[in-house]
Amino acid sequence: MSRLPLEGIRVADFSWIINGPAIAQWLATMGAEVIKIESQVYVDIGRINPSGMADHIAGPNRNGYYHALNYGKKAITLNLACERGRALADDIIRKSDLVIECFPMPAAKKLGITYDRVCAVKPDIVMVSVSLLGKTGLEPASWVGWGPMACCFVGMFDAQGYPGGPPRQTGGTWPDYAIANAVTFHVLAALRHRARTGEGQWIDASMGETVIGQMPEWYMDYAMNHRNRGARGNRDDKMAPHNTYPCAGDDKWIAIAVGSDRAWDALCGTMGNPAWTREAKFADQYSRWHNSDELDAHLARWTRSYEHIALAKKLQSVGVAAGPVLDSVEIHDDPHLWEWGFFRKINHREVGERILPNMPVRMSNVPQLNYSMPPDLGQHNREVFGGLLGLSDTEIASLMEQKVIY
Amino acid sequence: MASKALEDLIVIEFAEMVSGPMCGKMFADMGAEVIKIEPPGAGDEMRAHPPFPGDIPHPEKSGAFLYLNTSKKSITLDPATPSGAEVFRKLVAHADVLIENHSPGYLDSIGLGFNALKAINPRLILTSITPFGQTGPYRDWKGTDLVEFAMSLTGYNTPTMVDDPERENPLRAPGHQAEMMGATAAAASSMFAVFHREATGVGQWIDAPCWQAIATTSKIEMAAYTYVRLPFSRLRGNVAVGLEPMACKDGYVYTLWAAEPHWVALKKLLHNPPAMESEVFDKLAGRQANDDVLRPMIRDELKKYELDYLVTEGQRLGLTIGPVFTVAQAAEHPHLRARNAFVAIDHPIAGRLEYPRSLVQMTATPPTSTRAPMLGEHNAEILGRLGYSLEEQEGMRAAGLI
Repeated sequence: MSRLPLEGIRVADFSWIINGPAIAQWLATMGAEVIKIESQVYVDIGRINPSGMADHIAGPNRNGYYHALNYGKKAITLNLACERGRALADDIIRKSDLVIECFPMPAAKKLGITYDRVCAVKPDIVMVSVSLLGKTGLEPASWVGWGPMACCFVGMFDAQGYPGGPPRQTGGTWPDYAIANAVTFHVLAALRHRARTGEGQWIDASMGETVIGQMPEWYMDYAMNHRNRGARGNRDDKMAPHNTYPCAGDDKWIAIAVGSDRAWDALCGTMGNPAWTREAKFADQYSRWHNSDELDAHLARWTRSYEHIALAKKLQSVGVAAGPVLDSVEIHDDPHLWEWGFFRKINHREVGERILPNMPVRMSNVPQLNYSMPPDLGQHNREVFGGLLGLSDTEIASLMEQKVIY
Repeated sequence: MASKALEDLIVIEFAEMVSGPMCGKMFADMGAEVIKIEPPGAGDEMRAHPPFPGDIPHPEKSGAFLYLNTSKKSITLDPATPSGAEVFRKLVAHADVLIENHSPGYLDSIGLGFNALKAINPRLILTSITPFGQTGPYRDWKGTDLVEFAMSLTGYNTPTMVDDPERENPLRAPGHQAEMMGATAAAASSMFAVFHREATGVGQWIDAPCWQAIATTSKIEMAAYTYVRLPFSRLRGNVAVGLEPMACKDGYVYTLWAAEPHWVALKKLLHNPPAMESEVFDKLAGRQANDDVLRPMIRDELKKYELDYLVTEGQRLGLTIGPVFTVAQAAEHPHLRARNAFVAIDHPIAGRLEYPRSLVQMTATPPTSTRAPMLGEHNAEILGRLGYSLEEQEGMRAAGLI
């Protein structure tokens, strides 16, 4: 295997569920040694969520939710609720470059995973705390919650609905993955700063603030015009048509976005230039945008008789931006994603053949990322407690007996 | 004075609109010198996009442009012309990272593809952000944020919890979230390449597509397909434990009633309405099976209370509950104010405005924004540095090259 970018970096990862694990997954697949610290006292919800449990047969190593977010890592079980467990965690922190945690504030304090304390254990540590709305500030800093609640707080769901309708929710456990990308970039900058200066630091990452930073149209409009931009459905600032349109079949849709006269002419040509397309109210980009509700109604009557994937291909062949709304079956069958390398088949000891999504980038000099199998619960206990911390087999057995390594 | 983590890096940004500029902004705010190449004339297309103060378009006043291009330098240059290409090569010779978001094959078509640039600067990291990637059947498809988002499975599932699939067509997320995810994945990968280069001495080419980046946000929903062998459904029946904005007396709240402690806390918060005490609802399975009865009941109860009470008291009782604010409410919220989530930046033409401060907060090397550049503001500085005399610069300007 060629050299991976983060070889030599060790991560003590106390996080669970989605956002922290998604950060650690970037680092692990890029070559860092990620030690994921779990416990049977608080099992990662990714291991037990029924919606991901392979063939509905319960077992901590059978969950697709966990597998999708934790390949490339090592997993140990350590009971942080007891003092000896916390002392062993400190020993791992002393040998690490980076700590990741996403506990709610009260739990972080109880378990001793706060920056003040971690920094006392390892002064040059880089530590990432991922939370709903940040770990400093007022009362919301101590709220319990997860991704979608951050979107609620900062106005994303208010802006997600149909025009004039109630707030709706964005899919895809937003914004856990958004913050994972953002944190990963800044963590690497922090590690580089540390390598040069010896100075560690704390990254206090608020999911709410990441979302704010990804909605500049709304926040800058407020800053400039004191206006709440609100929900706009699929309406764009310039393009029209710009919407999803019904296709043949049950709940099948196509997205079409037209931003130029050339693309509009190509779309009209594909439709066979029906008379309505020549009406003055659709004559230019601005008129189409201004009359987009009426335009959408015309277009929907046309798209309805076509299969969504075939129609997207047909429109793309004449240079119109269009794409099928893919459901989970269709996205797994998509030829582009397979050829590009987005999916991979695994053959897992307990659950057999499954499909997992890879990381969403390719690097010419790092052709093979670390896609080692998602770890079983406690799979690397012996390697980490014995190899890294130097405990003897007898000590490890005794700690297991005492439910410290547990 | 906080230090800048990336102040030794030079980044060239040959990109417009959202994805490339957002990636460049992340480097610029961390201290890298980011030189943005804009088309002579109108500049980055984003300069023509709203919001504008008073809705009056002006190339130096686009709120989206001003935000996406903080801390950068701007030069105007057309690398598709021979003399523009010469300047471009000189810039790239001393750069660490080149960010671009043109169609696959465009750089090659003007003689500035990865192999040509690698010959000039073997340490160069070329970060190409595109809709679908550099290879594969959709390589040459036209992508927009709507199209990328719609195809991502997250697009299928937005909005969530659909009651009437005929009327509720799939929506994209507010703004340009597919492009944003492509930008942040590209920025992270570019930094991985910087680490790789420090160990190996060579640069590389990064293929960072927005569709794949936004599809990643449905990783666990995808897993359900091959692990549980169930297609993921966007219909409401799939959830049935809350998890959506619900109206209260003076706004909306977001909560759930999945786990036992949540259910107990929710009932207590609503003063234990007798109808909710039915043993039918005691277990999760019962609550899910009777969602059609239970959900309207909870909705009616929530409408009797004010948001402040529901959130403050709910959180105190251990319920996962939060407010659903508008952007206007959030922008003025004391918690975000206390965290300095916004920063005032002066601009000679757009004036003083409050911008979102940064994607994350850092203690030693915080991301820090200075104002976006005006179109071509740094032409003289950069061209001078590359060794072009004032006469040569004047000639280029007269020829419309800069």
